[in-house]
Amino acid sequence: MAIDTSMKVLVVDDFATMRRIVKGVLKQLGFSNIVEAEDGTTALDALKMEKVGLIVSDWNMPKMTGLDLLKAVRSDESLKETPFIMVTAEGQKENVIEAVKAGVNNYIVKPFTPETFSEKLEKVFG
Amino acid sequence: MSERIEQIGERLEGIALEVVTLEAGDIPALGNLMNALEALGADAEGLDDPRFLQVAGAVKGYLEKLILADATDLEPLEEGVTALQAFQRDLANGETPQPDVSGVLQKLGKAGTGPQTGAEDAGAETSASEQDAAESSEEPVEPLPSAADLSEEDRQILQDFVGESKENLEAIEVHLVNLEQEPEDLETVNSIFRPFHTIKGVSGFLNLKDVNKLSHSAENLLDKARNGDLKVGEGIIDLVLESVDTLKRMIDEVQEGLDENGLLTSTVDIAPLVRKIDMVSEEQEKWGDSRVGEILLRKGAITREDLDGGLERQKIQPGRKLGEILLEEKKTESKEVISALRDQRRYSKGHVDLQVKVDTVKLDNMVDLTGELVIAQSMLRQNPYITGSNDQKLYHNLGQLNQITSGLQRIAMSMRMVPIKSTFQKMVRLVRDLAKNSGKEVALEMSGEDTEIDRNVVDELYEPMVHMIRNAVDHGLESPDEREAAGKHRRGTVLLRAFHRGGNIVIEIEDDGRGLNREAILEKAISRGLIPEDHKLTDVEICNLIFHPGFSTAEKITDISGRGVGMDVVKKAIEKLRGRVEINTRPGRGSAFVINLPLTLAIIEGMLVRVGKQRYIIPALAILESFRPSREQYSTVEGKGELIQTRGSLVPLVRLHTIFGVESDFEQPWEGLVVAVEHEDRKMCLLLDELLGKEEVVIKSLGGGLRNIKGIAGGAILGDGRVGLILDMSGIFDVAQGNGRPSH
Repeated sequence: MAIDTSMKVLVVDDFATMRRIVKGVLKQLGFSNIVEAEDGTTALDALKMEKVGLIVSDWNMPKMTGLDLLKAVRSDESLKETPFIMVTAEGQKENVIEAVKAGVNNYIVKPFTPETFSEKLEKVFG
Repeated sequence: MSERIEQIGERLEGIALEVVTLEAGDIPALGNLMNALEALGADAEGLDDPRFLQVAGAVKGYLEKLILADATDLEPLEEGVTALQAFQRDLANGETPQPDVSGVLQKLGKAGTGPQTGAEDAGAETSASEQDAAESSEEPVEPLPSAADLSEEDRQILQDFVGESKENLEAIEVHLVNLEQEPEDLETVNSIFRPFHTIKGVSGFLNLKDVNKLSHSAENLLDKARNGDLKVGEGIIDLVLESVDTLKRMIDEVQEGLDENGLLTSTVDIAPLVRKIDMVSEEQEKWGDSRVGEILLRKGAITREDLDGGLERQKIQPGRKLGEILLEEKKTESKEVISALRDQRRYSKGHVDLQVKVDTVKLDNMVDLTGELVIAQSMLRQNPYITGSNDQKLYHNLGQLNQITSGLQRIAMSMRMVPIKSTFQKMVRLVRDLAKNSGKEVALEMSGEDTEIDRNVVDELYEPMVHMIRNAVDHGLESPDEREAAGKHRRGTVLLRAFHRGGNIVIEIEDDGRGLNREAILEKAISRGLIPEDHKLTDVEICNLIFHPGFSTAEKITDISGRGVGMDVVKKAIEKLRGRVEINTRPGRGSAFVINLPLTLAIIEGMLVRVGKQRYIIPALAILESFRPSREQYSTVEGKGELIQTRGSLVPLVRLHTIFGVESDFEQPWEGLVVAVEHEDRKMCLLLDELLGKEEVVIKSLGGGLRNIKGIAGGAILGDGRVGLILDMSGIFDVAQGNGRPSH
C-alpha cells in the first residue's frame, strides 16, 4: 500500500469510544499522526489550525453533522481538496447518496474491519 | 423550447463523457454524475414526454446502486445515457421520439436489484468491501466472549464504552421528558435517536451482540419517528424508556464482566422487547394512512365487493362517509367500523390537527379581552334604555350576541387548556423508580388523562404531585410482606385520577396502603407542640395536621421522601393555584389526597362585599364564614387589639375601611358584618358593611404604580362596569399586623 502513513488524520466523532476504535484501526494500518474532534464545528477549527491529510468523520453528530462538515470543507478554498471519508451506519443508504453528492471521497459502513478500511483508503489515494 | 433541448443535449454529452471514463467504485466521480443527472432532471422537468424523465430517473436509480455497491456493471448506465441522447436528438430534430425505452428500463431496473447479485458478480472491487462490512456484524472483528481474553487496549475501549453509553442513556431520559411535552419536536427526537445510533455502532465493533440488536431496534423506531412515519405517543415513549432501562442493565453486566474477568454476554432476554419494538414499527407501516375501507377489508370485516359497492354509492352521494354507507347496507357492524377508525387515527400521521404556536401573552390578552367583552355585553343588557325597550328584534339580536360572546369566551379559555396527560405520564417513571428503591411492588393506574387544565396550572402542579406520589409509595404503601400479612395483594396500587366536578378540576392520588395513623399523627403533633395536649380534634382536623410546616410521620428517612419538604409545601403550592387539598383516609384501606383546582387562573371565584362606597372581592377559598357578631363576641385585649370570639377562639378583627382608608357605614362591629378568613393557618375577621353576593370575575392586573399595593391582588370589572378590587389575603394579614401599609 503506497499510502503515506505519516500524514495527519483527523477523526471526527461525538462518541469518544468510537474515536478510539477508529484510531485503533488507523494505528493498525500504520498511521500515527492522529488528531480528534468531537463534532463538526471543532473539526473545522482544527482544520483551520493545521494541515490535515485525511478526514474520517461520523455522519451523525450534534451541533454540526458530518454532512455539514463535508459541505463546509468542500466550500472552503484552502480545504476543499482534503480527502474525506464518511463513516455511516448500515441501512442509511440515503445518507450515503447525500454524502456522495456533496463530494465525499468514499464512505465506510459501521462496523468495519481494518481490511475494509484499508481498501477504502487505497481507493481514495490510489 | 429548442433552447432547453439544446441545453439538455450539452449536459447529456458531458454525462456521456464521464460515463465512458467511469470506474465502478470511483465515489467522487459517481457523485459528480449524480449531481449532473439531477441537474438534467431539473432541465427536463417541462418536457412533454414523460418517458425521458422516466429513463433519466432509472439511470439515477442505477447510479445509486453503483454508489451503494449494489451493482458494479457499468453497461446499463452507458446504455441508459445513450438512450437519453437518442431521445434528445429526436426532440432536437423536431421528431416525435419513438425509442423503445422498455428494454433499457428493464436493464437499468433489473440489474443488481438484489443487493447480493451485483456484489457476487463483482467479486472483488467495491462490493467486496461492502460485503465485509455487512458480514462483520455477524462475524466478530475480534471475538470477545469473555473479558479474560481481552487485550489491554480492548479492555480500555470497553471500559470507555460502558461509561460513555451510560452517560448517553441518561441524557436520553432528559430528552424523553421534553419529548413528552412536545412530541413534534424533531430536534428532541433526533437527540434521542443519536445515542442509540452511536451505541449501536460501537457495540457492533465490540461484538456486544444483544446490545447491538436492541439499540438497533430502538434506533429504527426513532428513525421512523424522525422521518415523520411514526407519531410519537406514550406507547413509543414507554418503549424507548424500556429500551433505555434494558440497555443500562446490559451495560452494567458488561461492567461486571470486566470487573470479574468473566463473560461479557448479557443474561437479559431482549427478544420480547425487540419483538415489541419491531411490531410497533411495522404496525405503523401496515395501517399508516390507509383508508377506512382498506382497513376493514384487511381485517376481514367486509369483502372486496362490499367495499367496491360502498365506494360506488359514495360517488353518487358525495359527502357521505364510507363507514355510514357500509353500516346502512348492513355489510358490517358498527363495532368494526369504530375499531377501524381508531386504527386509522392511531397509526396515521396525516390526521394530526394542524397547530400554531402562540405566545402565551397574546393568549392571556385575548382571554382578558373576551372577559371584557362579556362584561360589556352584560352592561349593555342592563342599560335602562334597553331594558325599557319593547323591540323584539333588539332582544333577538342581543340573544345572539350573548351566544357568540359566551362561545368566544369558552374557546378563549380552552386555548389555555392542555391535557393533564403529560404530567401524569411523568409519574409512571417516578413510581417505577420509587418502587425499585423502596423494594415495594407498585402498580400505577391512571384515569382521566385527557382532562384539560390551565397550562400554567399544569406546570405548577408537577412538584406537589411528585411529592404526593412519593408519599403514597413511601409512606402509604406497605412492604409486600406486610401487605400479604394484612391479606392484601402483594402489589400495592396507586391511583391517579383527574376529572371535572362543578367548576373545578379534581385530581386524586389514592393508594391502597395502610392509611393515615391518627394516633401517631396526634402524638407527634403534641410532642412537637403543634397542638396542646388536651385539645379535642375531629378526624379531619387530625389528618390536616400533616400539612403543618415541619411535620413528617416517616419513621426512617429514605432517600426519596422524608427529607426537607413536607406536605405543607404541597398545600402551599396548591393554594397558590387557588386550589384546595383534602385527605380521605381509612385505616388499613388506604388514603386519598384530593386536589380541587379552579379551571383557570384567569377567573377567580369570590365574595363581593361593600365597604362604604367601595366594593371588594374576597377570594372564596379563604372564606370560613360570615356573620354579624353580637356585642358579647367583641372584646379588646391589651397589646392584641380588637378580637372577635368565634367558635371558641379569639380571632383578630381587621377593619377593612381603616386599612384602605375609606369611609364606612358603621363604626361598631355589631352593626356591620364580619367575614372570617383563613390564610396559611392564620385567621382573622374582616369587618365590612354588606355582602353583595358570590361572583366569578376575570382578574386584571393593576398597571404601573398600583401593582405593588399590599393587600390587593388585582382588579375586576363588575357587572355594572365599575371596578372592584380583589383582596390578597397574605397582604391583608401583613398590613393588619403592622408589617406594611397600603399606599393610598
